[in-house]
Amino acid sequence: MSEERKDGAAMIASGSREYLTFTLGAEEYGLDILKVQEIRGYDAVTKIANSPDFIKGVINMRGVIVPIIDLRLKFNLGQVEYNQFTVVIILNIAGRVVGVVVDGVSDVIALGRDQIRPAPEFGALLDTAYIDGLTTLDERMVIMVDIEKLMSSSEMGLIEQTQAGLA
Amino acid sequence: MNIDMSRFYQVFFDEASEHLAAMEGLLLDLDVESPDLEMLNAIFRAAHSIKGGAGTFGFTDMAQMTHVLETLLDRLRKQEMSPTTEMIDAFLQAGDVLRAQLAAHQDGIEYDDPRIAAIAARLERLAQLDADASAPASLPSHFNAEAAVWRIEFCPDVIELQSDSDLQTLADALAELGAFARLAPDQPDGCRWRLTTRFDQAAIIETFAFVCDPQQIRILPDEQTPAVALSDSQQVEDDAGFGFFDGAPGSERALAAGSQQQEDDDGFGFFDGAPGSEQALDQEHEGFGLFGGSPGMEQVAAVATQDRADSHQGYGFFSPAPSLSEQADDRAPPAASGTGDSGAPPPTAGVQRTSESVKRPAVTDSSIRVSVEKVDQLINLVGELVITHAMLAESASGLDPVVNERILSGLSNLERNSRDLQQAVMSIRMLPISFVFNRFPRVVRDTAATLGKKVNLRLVGEDTELDKGLIERLADPLNHLVRNSIDHGIELPERRRAAGKSETGEITLRASHRGGSVVVEVSDDGAGLNRDKLLAKAAQQGIPMPEHPSDKEVWQLIFAAGFSTAEKVTDISGRGVGMDVVRRNIDEMNGRVEIDSSPGRGTQITIRLPLTLAILDGLSVRMGEEIFILPLTAIQESIQPRAEQFKTVSGKGQLAEVNGDYLPLVVLHDIFQLGGERIRQEEGILVIVDTNEGRVALLVDELVAQHQVVIKSLETNYRRVEGISGATIMGDGRVAMILDVDALARLSRK
Repeated sequence: MSEERKDGAAMIASGSREYLTFTLGAEEYGLDILKVQEIRGYDAVTKIANSPDFIKGVINMRGVIVPIIDLRLKFNLGQVEYNQFTVVIILNIAGRVVGVVVDGVSDVIALGRDQIRPAPEFGALLDTAYIDGLTTLDERMVIMVDIEKLMSSSEMGLIEQTQAGLA
Repeated sequence: MNIDMSRFYQVFFDEASEHLAAMEGLLLDLDVESPDLEMLNAIFRAAHSIKGGAGTFGFTDMAQMTHVLETLLDRLRKQEMSPTTEMIDAFLQAGDVLRAQLAAHQDGIEYDDPRIAAIAARLERLAQLDADASAPASLPSHFNAEAAVWRIEFCPDVIELQSDSDLQTLADALAELGAFARLAPDQPDGCRWRLTTRFDQAAIIETFAFVCDPQQIRILPDEQTPAVALSDSQQVEDDAGFGFFDGAPGSERALAAGSQQQEDDDGFGFFDGAPGSEQALDQEHEGFGLFGGSPGMEQVAAVATQDRADSHQGYGFFSPAPSLSEQADDRAPPAASGTGDSGAPPPTAGVQRTSESVKRPAVTDSSIRVSVEKVDQLINLVGELVITHAMLAESASGLDPVVNERILSGLSNLERNSRDLQQAVMSIRMLPISFVFNRFPRVVRDTAATLGKKVNLRLVGEDTELDKGLIERLADPLNHLVRNSIDHGIELPERRRAAGKSETGEITLRASHRGGSVVVEVSDDGAGLNRDKLLAKAAQQGIPMPEHPSDKEVWQLIFAAGFSTAEKVTDISGRGVGMDVVRRNIDEMNGRVEIDSSPGRGTQITIRLPLTLAILDGLSVRMGEEIFILPLTAIQESIQPRAEQFKTVSGKGQLAEVNGDYLPLVVLHDIFQLGGERIRQEEGILVIVDTNEGRVALLVDELVAQHQVVIKSLETNYRRVEGISGATIMGDGRVAMILDVDALARLSRK
């Protein structure tokens, strides 16, 4: 628990913390709400040359250049037309601002640590190292993503390798 | 609970380094002959502030150092003694040590160097000396004006004498330095010797270094024994001779004192340009040659003539005697003697200086300390405001001007106001270039002294303002250039004389605004670049050159990595790393370097920089759907190509024929894999850009417009992208990438 406190995670009296859940295709994911800076609609992006296709490009967010990542493409969940419900979750991770395109944001939930079960080892595209655990919400499975670890990982290529170690 | 002092450390670090910089500047400006009391006070205050801060924060080493410094300064400002060049040197060194200590504390470590003790001892000794620091001005370095008594303590068992030497050889060697005596019979567990010498501590250490590890030896100034001068004739009574600060009458007495050093009264005439001066030179002690051409600091040849705006407030009294100073220079020993000696200043010069010295306007310090981050945030917000305005103006452009007159006039007011606001905010980041220039008097002084050259530094246009970020990054390249100029450009005094030039070389640092950019020139009146030598060296190192290279192409060679024409590598230059670093640094600032040189007349290196790091003059070009920005500095021309201008070479990609030259063709579509529709090559535009790899033809779909764009880093939230130097936000709020033409040329070759 002490480690989480260091993260600056919200410790609510009951020992639970809050998560933002969002959908990608048929799957539901959750991430630590304290990493979320804001949620906004999808804007036209400027493409970045020679970048992997899950990096959609960069946008101008009040003078800050923010890279936008399509998690659906990253998780290989097929391509979807962006529509008015498509949202971008702007995350603040390790001092950097990154936007993540998701199909929709559903809810903010408070979960105790004991409600999150560890994910079993399985052959998924998303390395289990980036999965914090699994939880059930109204009989739906929610995948808890360790978004910080995922975004600063080398396979995302968001951060230069020399810095990735520090992040 | 203790207050966490570390929170305030940064404030101390900032302030201390400012005080140190101020102190150094004042020290260099200080006129030893007629010290301005106000300046001495200012130096004292700076040292005192550092001491206070260091004490408060528990940096005892710095506090101790400043304490010694302060003791001496205090005596100076109370006019108990008068400053000498040796003191100034010691102060400068102490400043260096303090700076190193400060840097170490900033990194959270303790700075430990034997230098500290040596300098502290030197300062202490100077503080104890009487005001009669007048002694012959030209002594080899390590030579002090006064004989000092040193107590040397060591343990013969510990110092590990080398096999072929013994205590007696050591004693003999020391005896050569001065009067040597044993305070006690030598014991295996400890020797105590006394040495009365005019050499300084470093010289004694050097002697020991021949036979053993000098760190094991304690060399202390012996306070108990009063200093015994080796030669009485060199001791001048501590009389009121120094009254010459007060004006002319006192100087007579100073003159009298001076005459004990074989100075002829006539000698002083030469500052006035009087005919007697030549005679004076002949009679003069050899050291006096040093005064020539360097009234500010006699003992060294390097002097910064702070020549604001082409010397309109210059010290007029140099000019009457240029030829005299040349003659005087003949007699000057290598400027290296500048370190240890303390000269007898010619009092008349002092008097003149007092009357003519430029009064510096009192600096009214009404500034506040704001973090750069806050300023940058402000700049960002104002940038946003401008963009928002542009978007508003675009949507309003469809409105009927008659019906919506008020909205439209409000918009135009808004435009004017936001532009003014943007300029005002940008100017917060602007600093006068004197922030970099001010360090060069010291650099020139030290470098010239090391090399035994005589160099005058002229600073022009120090008030030119440019971005703080640029100022910081300009320091290193300029340092390289100036040192290079002194080492390779300016010739040794003898050679300069042979070439019919003044022995004192001149280096000019000049800054000015030209168009939208800042131009910084480093020029010297030295030997100039040697075309044949450069070409021979290029051939030797296998650097490809065209058959009949233009001068410009040849000069550019010096920027090649590992290229050095210096015959020998010194600690100042010659390893061939400096110039390519200069080039790279300037390139990173979106600047350009140009060289102009004529043999025998000197070299001029011109650096052209954008006004700020934050703004770039660019040409927006379209490729498919995307807009890119090309830095205007890189663009040479753009042409509408004909189909027959495109050539292919098997396996080697494409070339474009432009005015008879075949240039590599860079097709951005291919490099960035933009996809989308391709237009036919001849329907596009060829932009000829100048890159590190030579000229390159860029094929783009269309030229859009010329903009001043605000540069944003991609790396803040993403990473470096090859071929892209940054991003910017266009008027419509979209992001556009700024192209890095050097990287593009490199990429296209792969």
